[in-house]
Amino acid sequence: MAQFSYRIIPLAALALAVPAQATVYLTVEQAQNQMFPRQSLTPQFRTLTAEQVAAIRKASGESPLSRDLRAWRAADGGWFIVDEVVGKHEFITYAVSLDSSGAIRDVEILDYREAYGGQVRDPRWRQQFVGKRAGQSLKLGGEIRNVSGATLSCKHITDGVRRVLATYAVALAHA
Amino acid sequence: MHDQMVRRCRPILGTFVEIAVPEAAAASIDPAFARIEHIHARMSFHSEDSDLAALRRARPDSSVHVDSATIGVLRLAKDLYHQTDGVFDAAVGRQLVEWGFLPQPAGYRDKEWIGGMPDVEILDEAHVSISRATLLDLGGIAKGYAVDCAVETLLEAGAPSGIVNAGGDLRVFGEWEEIVHLREADETLGASLAIRNAALASSSNLHNRRQHRTHATSPHVLGEAPVLAGDAVTVIAERCVIADAMTKVAIACPTTAGRVLATLNAELIDRRALGATH
Repeated sequence: MAQFSYRIIPLAALALAVPAQATVYLTVEQAQNQMFPRQSLTPQFRTLTAEQVAAIRKASGESPLSRDLRAWRAADGGWFIVDEVVGKHEFITYAVSLDSSGAIRDVEILDYREAYGGQVRDPRWRQQFVGKRAGQSLKLGGEIRNVSGATLSCKHITDGVRRVLATYAVALAHA
Repeated sequence: MHDQMVRRCRPILGTFVEIAVPEAAAASIDPAFARIEHIHARMSFHSEDSDLAALRRARPDSSVHVDSATIGVLRLAKDLYHQTDGVFDAAVGRQLVEWGFLPQPAGYRDKEWIGGMPDVEILDEAHVSISRATLLDLGGIAKGYAVDCAVETLLEAGAPSGIVNAGGDLRVFGEWEEIVHLREADETLGASLAIRNAALASSSNLHNRRQHRTHATSPHVLGEAPVLAGDAVTVIAERCVIADAMTKVAIACPTTAGRVLATLNAELIDRRALGATH
């Protein structure tokens, strides 16, 4: 096997290598094609009632961020649901696919961005970017991409998926 | 080069797992995710359906059927236990439950968890027996192993290059250079590295402490006591499983890590030296 190699990046070069935007993995349409290939999906958008929100909160321990439910029905009876969670620093859009019985098939992250520049706390490090790519550099610290250390927890997604399942039971299962 | 690649991300292994390959090899991503999900299901401490749960329930010395991946991880965990004179120890479940880093599994109070890695015997490629009740936690090694398996799957499926990143434990393969930023123990960003054909893992516990009775604990255990490390460590290696496991050794006992790393084709990244170049 080839020997591994690494080299240290000078910060001037790094500023150019930093991705300009928060990470987008899949658009909604790409995720639909990924999770339900060659199937037509019919939008079944709902506005949750106050009673439904209360029932979801009771069942999952989590309150929906929005009363707008973005759900699509697949030709095979499955569901495609787009949801968002807000963590301590991050803002994540993700898609959940359910089979026709309401069981989870897959969860995919659509995009991941930082809610605010909290994770890049070192002012010296930040200073390197001032006047070059101000603002954009602050996104770097929160990204999943290529930051090694203090593992990012996906607990917010786990909580969100539990809430999506409760939402399905309350608002979609008998649709 | 990065323009024509596909990047996807799923929540697995308690973190975000990201896989990127050239667009032409996009079809290799699904089987790679499936492999990671399989490993997660077999080695999860939290699930009562995992191989770890089966080993917890087993009677002493009975033969327990487990997945070949579980055998692979246990074999490596035993090897590392011996090579590091016990510093790398996967039989730390009891401490991590007592300190609150892991939940109490079913039947936890019914047994005395007095066993250790020497009590774990690999019988063949599908069976394990444990002579005294041992609470195993593969959290310090399974993630790296899953990254390696995913890379293997991507290669088998024809991906010429790519990256698999499980919450910062990552591996880059093929003609691909990836820039990785190292997060320090205080969660600031430190040095950056461009890596090629390598696996990288980091570990710290400054922001992962719990009070147990009168003292602070961390998820890193040495001789039944918590290791409280002020700095983060990063290990680079050919295989991610080695990088992952050896960060725990480097946190707990740098001397042992220094002795063993070279024999494993791995290296500790000197963060202070990197910082000095800035």
